Amino acid sequence: MAARNEQFVDWEIMHIPGNTLLSLEDSTVNVVAAKIEPKLANTIIRQLNQICPLEDLRHVKRVKKESSEGKVKLSIILYVSSENGSSIEAAPSGVRQLIDNYNLSLFAAKVSRCQATSKGEWEEQCKLWPTSFHPPANPEGVSGLDEEEIKSIYSSMKSVIQLVQSNIQHKVVNAVIIVDPSNGQIISKARDEIPLLRSSEENDSSNSNNEETKSKWSENKGVACVNPWGWLEQSCHDHGVMPCESGFTWHPLKHAAIVAIENAAARDRQLFPNPSPCGNNCYSEFYSVDGPAKRLKTENEAHSTKKDSESVGDLAWEATRPYLCTGFDIYLAWEPCPMCAMALVHQRIKRIFYAFPNPRVGALGSVHRLHGQRSLNHHYSVFRILIPDEALNKIFLENLNQ
Amino acid sequence: MLATLVVSSLIDSLIVIRSTEMDGVSESDLENINKFMELALHQAKCAFDNLEVPIGCVLVEDGEVIATGFNRTSETRNATRHAEMEAIDTLLEKWQKCSLSKSQVAQKFSNCILYVTCEPCIMCAMALSILGIREVFFGCANDKFGGCGSILSLHKSETDNKCRQVDGASQSKGFKCMGGYMADEAVSLLRSFYEQGNPNAPKPHRPVRVLQAPQKS
Repeated sequence: MAARNEQFVDWEIMHIPGNTLLSLEDSTVNVVAAKIEPKLANTIIRQLNQICPLEDLRHVKRVKKESSEGKVKLSIILYVSSENGSSIEAAPSGVRQLIDNYNLSLFAAKVSRCQATSKGEWEEQCKLWPTSFHPPANPEGVSGLDEEEIKSIYSSMKSVIQLVQSNIQHKVVNAVIIVDPSNGQIISKARDEIPLLRSSEENDSSNSNNEETKSKWSENKGVACVNPWGWLEQSCHDHGVMPCESGFTWHPLKHAAIVAIENAAARDRQLFPNPSPCGNNCYSEFYSVDGPAKRLKTENEAHSTKKDSESVGDLAWEATRPYLCTGFDIYLAWEPCPMCAMALVHQRIKRIFYAFPNPRVGALGSVHRLHGQRSLNHHYSVFRILIPDEALNKIFLENLNQ
Repeated sequence: MLATLVVSSLIDSLIVIRSTEMDGVSESDLENINKFMELALHQAKCAFDNLEVPIGCVLVEDGEVIATGFNRTSETRNATRHAEMEAIDTLLEKWQKCSLSKSQVAQKFSNCILYVTCEPCIMCAMALSILGIREVFFGCANDKFGGCGSILSLHKSETDNKCRQVDGASQSKGFKCMGGYMADEAVSLLRSFYEQGNPNAPKPHRPVRVLQAPQKS
């Protein structure tokens, strides 16, 4: 899907799904079912839901209804087969009793292991055994983005590519920008800071010719997420580098995304300081700060013991303060490594856009698909932006001429 | 490890103790491990007292604690400030002040053992691999975010991992990792934290399930 805009002609955006699409055959669960009399259905369903609920298969309908020759036939799932087979001995004792009571004859069936993510998938699943399907309110993929939004996504990605290249004379590093999509505000910008580069060093070899710099562009060993164990070999400009505020002249873990999160957290602390015991009026100037549309109210029970006058201030403060990076997008030049991808889960990023895959340790599509891990307590959507070579070269030349 | 908001069901999964992994550890070793795990637990209690998710760690070199850390995600509003990251930064700063070179620092990390009350999360496990730490002992497993066997196995090096070798890139580093040490203590600390309610977490979307008392086997 390409936005019809001259500047971004032939740019493409693609959704990176959290799960590699398994064929339905690979993702079924064996169950034991039985045909039942329609008039007994209610009683049996009620009993089964108590003695043997289908805990991990909530999307699967317990009863399958078929009608042939004007007669309704019902089948019901009794229990999930154990690995040892589907013999009646494997049935939970309560279910075994029920089978005896109603003199049920069992048969084996297959149901889909996972909830359908699309209508097509759902229709396939139902051929095995009926499931329920709830189309997501916010379509996950590219289809949920309009042209205007795609244009602003492309232009944010362009800014990231410009950051990558602004110290290209030395080497290419990863760069990221965190953006509040509700108002386009840039929350934080960062580059890899494995060795800290002095700004003067960025300029002192600007006379190298285009061909030379072009070859460096393809060499991405300096990108922290691509070569995370390479920090030892990276030349560290030991001569006279002043430590940054945090006291480090180099840091093997200061990948661009980690630095951007640090900056975003520092911004948060500055804009929304903790209420001090002396009262909260001093923070009122911050209430009007443009913030994300979606603010999460933090629990204010902790403050309920305070005096009334104070809790009024607290409530206003609680209502405007963002929770971590909830609602924010991040743009990265390169696909993040597992450390950075997990850091972005922790910090509650909403959407991730990256331009270049990271075939060796990429955690969002190349090697792992972290965003598809169901156990995580937060899930972001992931997109890749494909930038045509000419466009990359053009951005790069523009940078050089600045 | 754990972010500021963790659903309470996490605690149920944390009581998984990998007792099998402790086979082959002699009694004196176990005593030694437990000694450092106590110190890590003390750090976790410091986190608890600061209204942080109670997880703590110590870094040990040649039998001596050289750095400690506890979770500071709420205070910093930076959900990546896990105990491990705190301890690592303390060391990096200290060693850079002593003007140690990169290779000297790498050498030192390769001699360090981490004791942490909960299995390192995917982020921390990758960080420990990047630094080339020697060994990790953890308390309870982390079935939601664990990077040392529970969700991913980042402690295993490239040769036995899914990662692909790329020309010119530096070799990945694995580390020895064992869990289940003083896990009950680590879990009960986490449980008391979530029972009192995490004051910094946003309002849950769904009602929080009330926890049952742990079943002792």
